[in-house]
Amino acid sequence: MKPFLSFGRISIVFVFAAFCFLNSAKAQLFLGNGKISGDFGFNGMYYIPDSLIGAEEVAGKVRANTFLNLLYTNGGITAGVRYEFYSYPLIDFEKIGYQGQGLTYYFADYKNDFLQVTAGTFYEQFGNGLSFRAYEDRQLGVDNSLLGTRIKVTPYKGIVIKGVWGIERKNFDFDYTKRNDYIRGIDAEIALAELIPGMADKGFTTTFGGSFVSKYEKSTEDYYFVIHPDVDSLTATATIPADKIPQNVATWAARFNFGYKGFRLETEYAQKINDPNVTNQYIYKDGQALFFSATYSTKGLGVSASFIRADNMDFRSQRGEKNNSLLSINYIPAINRQYAYQLLGNYSYASQPNGQIGAQFQLNYQIPKKSKLGGKYGTDITLNYSRFHTLNYDTVLLAVENGTMSGTEGYSSSFFGCGKDLLYQDIGIEISRRFDKKWKLILAYNYIIYNMEILQGHGGLFHGHNVAADLTWKITNKHALRLEAQHLYSKDDLGSWIYAMLEYSISPRWFFSVGDQWNYGNAESAQRIHYYNIAASYIIKTTRLSLSYGKTREGILCVGGVCRAVPASNGVTLSVTTSF
Amino acid sequence: MKKIYFVVIALLMVFMTNAQETQESKKLATLPSVDIKTLDGKLFNTKDIANDGKPVIISLWATWCKPCVAELMAIADVYDDWVTETGVKLYAVSIDDSKTSARVAPFVNGKSWSFEVLLDQNWDFKRAMNVADIPFLCVLNGKGEIVWQHTSYAPGSEEEIYAVVKKLVEENK
Repeated sequence: MKPFLSFGRISIVFVFAAFCFLNSAKAQLFLGNGKISGDFGFNGMYYIPDSLIGAEEVAGKVRANTFLNLLYTNGGITAGVRYEFYSYPLIDFEKIGYQGQGLTYYFADYKNDFLQVTAGTFYEQFGNGLSFRAYEDRQLGVDNSLLGTRIKVTPYKGIVIKGVWGIERKNFDFDYTKRNDYIRGIDAEIALAELIPGMADKGFTTTFGGSFVSKYEKSTEDYYFVIHPDVDSLTATATIPADKIPQNVATWAARFNFGYKGFRLETEYAQKINDPNVTNQYIYKDGQALFFSATYSTKGLGVSASFIRADNMDFRSQRGEKNNSLLSINYIPAINRQYAYQLLGNYSYASQPNGQIGAQFQLNYQIPKKSKLGGKYGTDITLNYSRFHTLNYDTVLLAVENGTMSGTEGYSSSFFGCGKDLLYQDIGIEISRRFDKKWKLILAYNYIIYNMEILQGHGGLFHGHNVAADLTWKITNKHALRLEAQHLYSKDDLGSWIYAMLEYSISPRWFFSVGDQWNYGNAESAQRIHYYNIAASYIIKTTRLSLSYGKTREGILCVGGVCRAVPASNGVTLSVTTSF
Repeated sequence: MKKIYFVVIALLMVFMTNAQETQESKKLATLPSVDIKTLDGKLFNTKDIANDGKPVIISLWATWCKPCVAELMAIADVYDDWVTETGVKLYAVSIDDSKTSARVAPFVNGKSWSFEVLLDQNWDFKRAMNVADIPFLCVLNGKGEIVWQHTSYAPGSEEEIYAVVKKLVEENK
């Protein structure tokens, strides 16, 4: 059978259409009114093996990630395309399977006040993403875009209805004829304050929303699993026949937001049915997620409390996929505070869609400007506390008898109960103060507990005290020196670390920096390694060139509660990004 | 493979044709039309970013992005003077996703910022603006045309931004 949706065919049609469009008599006029913009990125590295830090020899020595985005806009019409060349990618991308090349993104879109239609690749999110979120994070190698169509209707100001239909991107695997899965979803949102006159004037905002997302995946193979894996005499193989594996898996979600002046409440609940898959050991239990957030803020003060509970909510286009965020349909946010401190990077919490219950509290306060304590510019204080646990659950009787949860309901869990395992805890304070036109200081302290066993698959609980200072000295209007210093004290994992980085900048063009991370507290003296780095970057408007040399430790990289492994590396990096 | 080169070359040609075009007409780009949200959850179309014919500054930032916060703090210290002298308005478009977006309002208020704050949770505006990295900042003239863009932040670069804004106001006099 000739493939209908082949990659080659689509791209040829696309380019042909673009050409026809340009060569037509009206093209000049049309282009004249339109606009083409884009961005380009190159990130390449020359790898030098280093046995001490565990940096392996990389085949080909030089690796690079490259992409180019082009967008064409003309009135209500937008069309775009992205080419990615990741055939020989940076080694951490190769390790997660993000390797290949091609047109990974191409679409045409028409939008007016009433309607928006998209054909091709698109990103979209329903509510907070508990039921559906197609998104990208280039740094992590996550791209969960859909290839298909989207319709967005605004029948009346304050009401938005969205429908999506498509196949999810799986790295560089573009042979859609081999795909047996697709996603369809619908979402509606009503903003009452825009419908009811006078409501907004009184300071009220209220939004209701609901979504329904369904995945279809053909079920052709039986699933085999082992019963009593730990008891030799009883070990047997059992099967879930293909026709007992649901081909349609649905998730629905409802949300409600309410605001009155400085007060705001956001909540969303989602439920998933019928989804035995490899991440939950093929159990038939329903999944649930609840997200709740309450905040109050007024000039100089902000307080917030958030809560998340997720149970069996890993929802993917293919039931056999478990790597990172590959083929994820929804997004379960980890609500902890996210830090940019180098040494805490390896102990960043990763969201656990299949089982987590947690809360986060934060206070932002500004000691007023021109007060005795606040100084001329005011002093900003942030206090933060967050704690995440596993769920409190009971394995069902049949699963206990079988010695495996597979093929059963799995377990039952109490909704607001915390499990015995602590996943993550963070207590932190950050003070930021500008003394005068030249000096500015940020001081921070954090106490972190991080469950390495569950979150990284090895080791026990990690306890660490981290102190960070960030001092900026604006020497003249254009020249500035910035010192970042950190100390992470711990008796667990690799022990204590110290980090210092000095950055000299000439605004707005030049940056130079030298830095060193030193694992001085490692129990083994041979492992007390320095990870130094030197870098220079040059910026002109929206173009950034950067050259650096240094060592990177083995660890994890987390952005927004989504993490991936990073192997140790040593070498020279060149990166170029530009947008036009 | 051949098909791919063909595609890339074709696209570059499309782009170059247009590059010449824009040079001839010297037409400046305006903002794309993207639906994002206000802090209280209302839909907001980015075409509606305006300031009664006076200049506008747009900053793409996130609560977790240190240089972005440093840049906005530096601007916040002098913002009152900027507004009094030029009438400029700053829109701070946060790209925090649902993990941290609920805490944007407390964050902004906790720092006493008086910018207009908008939420671009799924990066639709960021993509439409072709922004690769944040901090990203652009300045619009009174007609809503993008006259200046910059990426990354070094202490002191806020003065360059203000010079651009001042020039716009003086040209308009």
